[in-house]
Amino acid sequence: MSLAGVVTRRFPFGLRWLGAALWRLEHAFERARAAGRVEDDARIRIFLVMLFFGLGFGALAMGATQAALFSGSGGGGGPGWMPPQARADIVDREGRLLAADLLHYGLYVDPAEVWDRDATRQALARALPDVAAERLDRALTSDRRTFLVGGMTPIQKAAIHQLGLPGVTFEPEQKRVYPLNHTASHLIGFADTGGEGLAGAELALNDDIRSLARGSGEMALSIDLRIQGALEDELRKAVQAYGPKGAVGVVAHVHTGEILGLASYPDFDPNVASTASANERLNRAASSVFEMGSTFKAFTVAIGLDTGVATMASTFDAREPYKLGYRTIHDYHASRKVLNLVEVFQHSSNIGTAKLAVGVGPERLSRYFTALGLTTAADVELKESASPLTPKVWNEDAVASTSFGHGMNVSPLALTRAMLPLLNGGKLVPLTIRKQAPGYRPEAKRVLSETTSAQMLQIMRANVTGGSGGKADAPGLSVGGKTGTGEKYDPEIRRYNGKRQVSSFAAVFPSDGPLENDRYFVLILLDEPHGTPETFGYSTGGWVAAPATGQVITRIAPFLGVSRHIGPLANQPRLASAPSAPAILGEAR
Amino acid sequence: MSVIDRRIRGFRLVDVIALGLLVLLIMSVYLAKTIASRERAEIASVERQIASERAQIRLLEAEVAHLEQPSRIEHLSSTYLEMGPVDVTRETTADSLAALAPPKPALAAAPQPEAAP
Repeated sequence: MSLAGVVTRRFPFGLRWLGAALWRLEHAFERARAAGRVEDDARIRIFLVMLFFGLGFGALAMGATQAALFSGSGGGGGPGWMPPQARADIVDREGRLLAADLLHYGLYVDPAEVWDRDATRQALARALPDVAAERLDRALTSDRRTFLVGGMTPIQKAAIHQLGLPGVTFEPEQKRVYPLNHTASHLIGFADTGGEGLAGAELALNDDIRSLARGSGEMALSIDLRIQGALEDELRKAVQAYGPKGAVGVVAHVHTGEILGLASYPDFDPNVASTASANERLNRAASSVFEMGSTFKAFTVAIGLDTGVATMASTFDAREPYKLGYRTIHDYHASRKVLNLVEVFQHSSNIGTAKLAVGVGPERLSRYFTALGLTTAADVELKESASPLTPKVWNEDAVASTSFGHGMNVSPLALTRAMLPLLNGGKLVPLTIRKQAPGYRPEAKRVLSETTSAQMLQIMRANVTGGSGGKADAPGLSVGGKTGTGEKYDPEIRRYNGKRQVSSFAAVFPSDGPLENDRYFVLILLDEPHGTPETFGYSTGGWVAAPATGQVITRIAPFLGVSRHIGPLANQPRLASAPSAPAILGEAR
Repeated sequence: MSVIDRRIRGFRLVDVIALGLLVLLIMSVYLAKTIASRERAEIASVERQIASERAQIRLLEAEVAHLEQPSRIEHLSSTYLEMGPVDVTRETTADSLAALAPPKPALAAAPQPEAAP
């Protein structure tokens, strides 16, 4: 069978045409040989060879032209290049810069190229006074190119470059910079030179920050720098006034769980984190646990209301100390009268709260504490979030102690998280340091009824208008809250030491309006504050933490869009049982 | 005479055409590569400039953030401008402005025309 026959039957038209053409060509050679014109045969073959070479060379030329003109390569090291340790910028919720990778330079010395070693040593010593002389000598006498110093700014680099020192070269490097220095240092945290987060948001959101760097994105935190600034400023003033060994401030949105401000004193500069002490680097809001004292009474009262054990009109006999098992419970400043539930809260009565907790019972109380998240570390991205210290056995003694904030140590963030259901309609929302979209409402488990939450808002407001939290009142902002003063256990005397206190104030604003309205929680805590003549020597929460809380609220309300009302408020809670501003301010614990 | 056999000054026309095409191809590739390398160098230069400007911008942004940190602004505003948080008594809404406005002075009585003598 001929080639033409095979091609005709089995192959498509294009191949068939090519086969036929080759067949005719081959016959042309045969015809030329048959006609005795051998030169035609050779010419045709030469022409064909040239044609194929020409086509091949043309294809190569087109490919080379395309590669040269349209390959789109801009060369390595361009703006798209990203070092492996790159981290995305961290910004606050309004886009203000909190942390960034900035171009710096490392300085290298190659002794083989140094012309005058002494002159180079003197010039570098003058330009880099922080570099030790031994280190400089070692670099100049090394047998290889040696790294001398890193993290040089472009200005520092230019200054040394202008010295024109042979053998001194620079290589670009990224350095993590925190332009706000001490501001929000515990929340932002810090990263190492290898680009790994070591603390705060840098650690908690490490993977996201690394991946965002590849897409040139930025990580938006939940904090508002204006709120953070006001919080830190007021906390600093309180520290200067009362000299505590530590202090904490937290501002959170009660519905979203977003942390809008977080301050911990003492603080540090994350740019030089390695020079800070462990005490300065300690994030007291997340990592320290405290016996919170009377702020826990808010939980006990809420649980009492939610279980139906008490109503706002229920009364408790606080005329005599309450004997429970082997212990006797006293009020810090005894009112010696029968108190209703609101008055128990306003007077911060240990007796009334303990009686309410006994009515609730150990099983239900511990179940509610667990539901409120008080028996686990605070649900927040921060890795520093510490686990609480809880009673081993939930007996009557534990019930009485925990009802007024003793015998249970929780972190300020855990307290914050547990407080939110009391103020947001009863839902346990997770805390977050990530900025959330407008209208965001997280999936949350209901732990209290809406009625209980509404009642707690009223009771907390009543505590500010006529109870121990009066100094936290911010004109026109309907502030509610609860004081807390927990004595610290002193191992030296093997009992609680009345002179070492943890004083706090947990506040909410605005406390009026529908439950679904935007509302904010503020916590100020001072660890071992000292009373002053202005506070008549008191260092309780009502005297030292409440005023700072009121100042914080006054300053941050405009940033949060909370309008201030002068004069009587339409929705201000009015409780028939509320006393008319008794002089119990400093006495309440 | 076929095209293959045609000669110009002793050279086959086909060879001359093929040589011309070859020179044209070589020249075009050379020109393309030369122009492209010049363009690429210019692009690389612009990209380096962009990267440098971006680095400068980021430095300036960080500098601005450093200078605008809340504690510094507050210190400067309170020290040099004697500014502070707005007191609630000095805050109102646009709707309430009319109520706060001072009352208008009573209009002076219009002069009466003198009676005709």
